[in-house]
Amino acid sequence: MKIGLVLPSLPGYSETFFRNKILGLQQNGIEVILFVNDHKAEGYFLNCRVIKAPKLGGNKMKVMVNTALQLLKMVVINPNKSWKYYLLNKKDKIDTAQNIKQVLANQFVLSEKLDWLHFGFGTMVLGRENIAQVIGAKMAVSFRGFDIGIYPLKHPNCYKEMFRKVDKIHVISDDLANLLYKQGFTQRDKITKITPAIDTHFFLSKAQKENSILQLTTIARLHWKKGLEATLESLFLLKNKGINFRYTIIGEGDEKERLLFAIKQLGLTEMVIFTGKLSPEKVKEQLEATDIYLQYSLQEGFCNAVLEAQAMGLLCVVSDAEGLSENILNGITGFVVPKQQPKRLYEKLHEVINLSQSQKEEIRQKAISRVQQEFTIEKQQQEFLAFYE
Amino acid sequence: MILNKKLKIALYSGEIPSTTFIERLVSGLSEKGCTILLFGYVTKKIKYKGNVIIRGYAENRFYKMYLLLRYTVLLFLFRNAEKKKLDVYIAKEAKKKAFAKMKFYPVLWHKPDVFHLQWAKSIEDWAWVQDFGIKLVVSLRGTHITTTPLSDVRVANRYLKFFPKVDGFHAVSKAMAVEAQKFGADSNKIKVVYSGLPKGTMASEKRKGKEVLKIISIGRNHWIKGYSYALECCKILKENQFEFEYTIIGALGAEELEFSRESFGLKEKVFFTGNKSFLEVQKYITNADVLLLPSVEEGIANTVLEAMQLGKIVIATDCGGMTEVIENEKNGFIVPVRNPQKMAETIIKIASLEGSVKQRIAREAILTIQHNHDEEKMIADMMALYRQVLNKNE
Repeated sequence: MKIGLVLPSLPGYSETFFRNKILGLQQNGIEVILFVNDHKAEGYFLNCRVIKAPKLGGNKMKVMVNTALQLLKMVVINPNKSWKYYLLNKKDKIDTAQNIKQVLANQFVLSEKLDWLHFGFGTMVLGRENIAQVIGAKMAVSFRGFDIGIYPLKHPNCYKEMFRKVDKIHVISDDLANLLYKQGFTQRDKITKITPAIDTHFFLSKAQKENSILQLTTIARLHWKKGLEATLESLFLLKNKGINFRYTIIGEGDEKERLLFAIKQLGLTEMVIFTGKLSPEKVKEQLEATDIYLQYSLQEGFCNAVLEAQAMGLLCVVSDAEGLSENILNGITGFVVPKQQPKRLYEKLHEVINLSQSQKEEIRQKAISRVQQEFTIEKQQQEFLAFYE
Repeated sequence: MILNKKLKIALYSGEIPSTTFIERLVSGLSEKGCTILLFGYVTKKIKYKGNVIIRGYAENRFYKMYLLLRYTVLLFLFRNAEKKKLDVYIAKEAKKKAFAKMKFYPVLWHKPDVFHLQWAKSIEDWAWVQDFGIKLVVSLRGTHITTTPLSDVRVANRYLKFFPKVDGFHAVSKAMAVEAQKFGADSNKIKVVYSGLPKGTMASEKRKGKEVLKIISIGRNHWIKGYSYALECCKILKENQFEFEYTIIGALGAEELEFSRESFGLKEKVFFTGNKSFLEVQKYITNADVLLLPSVEEGIANTVLEAMQLGKIVIATDCGGMTEVIENEKNGFIVPVRNPQKMAETIIKIASLEGSVKQRIAREAILTIQHNHDEEKMIADMMALYRQVLNKNE
């Protein structure tokens, strides 16, 4: 079987989801080809051929040259497919200029014979809804959070055409499936949930030692959807209660200034540390030293970091954003708090801190065993093989 | 002696034309007889009344070369010694030497009495003026002082290095003056000059009989404006079955706000618009019941002053200098920062106020603007700052 995976760029070191998926498929004799938008990508990745999109933006000379090249490709290599693509687009009432742009920009995806064309993110499909049919492949799309949780707010009905043509949709949580239904998707049998997985051999729990100062950690990109400002407000209340703690935030992003200002205004400067991005080894080290893991997101497809924290036997307090309420079983493997309500997060933290040792231990053990059984890479790889049957 | 001399002031904001406040300063000062020099990047052609000399540059490469050539020749012929001194400095400190010359030569040639830098972040570029007998005055406004140094250590260090040497500071509020002192600004050299509005008229009485309280906020979509807290406040209002409509002018396309609006089920009550012209904004304010400023930090928000001048009820958070303008329940309302619950309680309270109480507050608001935020006063205060700075040597 040959599967084409369409991504914005080659999976980074920390994007274990795609890396594991590719390896799992390859282990079972499936050939994976990567189609990436990033025109600077390398030619090979994890033994997959990488086919890059042409650069059609920026320097006017380069754009003209590249467009001419695509035109040549279209005429010499893919004349029939390009024509078919154009006609299908026309049937979907796409205006001529847009249509031609799409056909030229996507020549790089037309040349391979594939069984499945799988778009790694919902937004990867836009403008490419007809390609699978053109090359005689089945179409699959993965939805992971932003694509269905935030993007459609400013682009309503953006997936209308894709909904009609897709063969299978992969979601990482039930709540994301619900968001799809809200957007007008009705064919429930085409949706398969495959939750993320983590390397359960790497994220192992150590014997929990008591810290003299409460250690809290969050791993998150510094983006508003991660609810870090609300988290800080709840910690402000915790500080006022006289509880001493250190809060470590692992991640980088645009919101740093906003958070630094909130920290200053809330008087938390001595208690909050930004580490920037860390390697998996350093992340693990930090988690080993953590008492409570926080993920108070506004929007979250599922969240690998919370799986990692549970695997390591940490007490987790998370929001009820989409996948988080499936990721943590409230009161059993961790705690779920309604989102965007700092006071309630503070109350829950206070409650968790005051649990007895045996209560805490029970939660930890249940968290560890659940992740070990249900969120392993091996299990996920099996699920993906079944997905393509 | 200095008191009689006509002041030559360079108002530098990097762009021509600049923000409303700075434009008012330009016209106000020139009307009072000052010669105003404007340097920087010209974004559009503009004519001023009075003695305003524009020596800016546009994107046009030929014009930039002409500008550089013109002033190179003038300085070379008539002030070569000073030119050489500046060249040495440029050779040592400037990264793009030709660009620096093009920016600095006109300033050296025209030798203002005071170089008034509007945005503190560029202080490193202009500190040299002090070596040529030009006084350096720096405005302390907004985020350049309150938030940028937090996330950019280089900026913080820059302030620590240069603030002690500045001849005079203009602070938009007392709170801002306090902030600047953390970077070594001499408190004796800081003068608080409040934003001033030209004389205005009170808004016509809004038509009565509508049960729905109309709330507006005006301002660009930036986290510092605290709109996310305003939306949480709206959620609380909705939960209390309070009838309201909230419009944020300038927030169109704000992803985070659209998300919260959707998530809180506020699509029928909360509206976002794009930027509006000054007159359109005035209309919006006139048609509203309450102006809400949910900011987490401010210098002193001009929109609040404008609304008070129109006799509107204003609710502002107690950030920055807002408590220097509003006294709670006297000429407006103050709520704690980052507290949607208190914000909602105040809005509900205002809706049930007696008409006479609201009128009293509106009158006090207008009086506050007349006494403390009058454009004439602002100009006079600014000129006093310049004279203070120039008299230091006498």
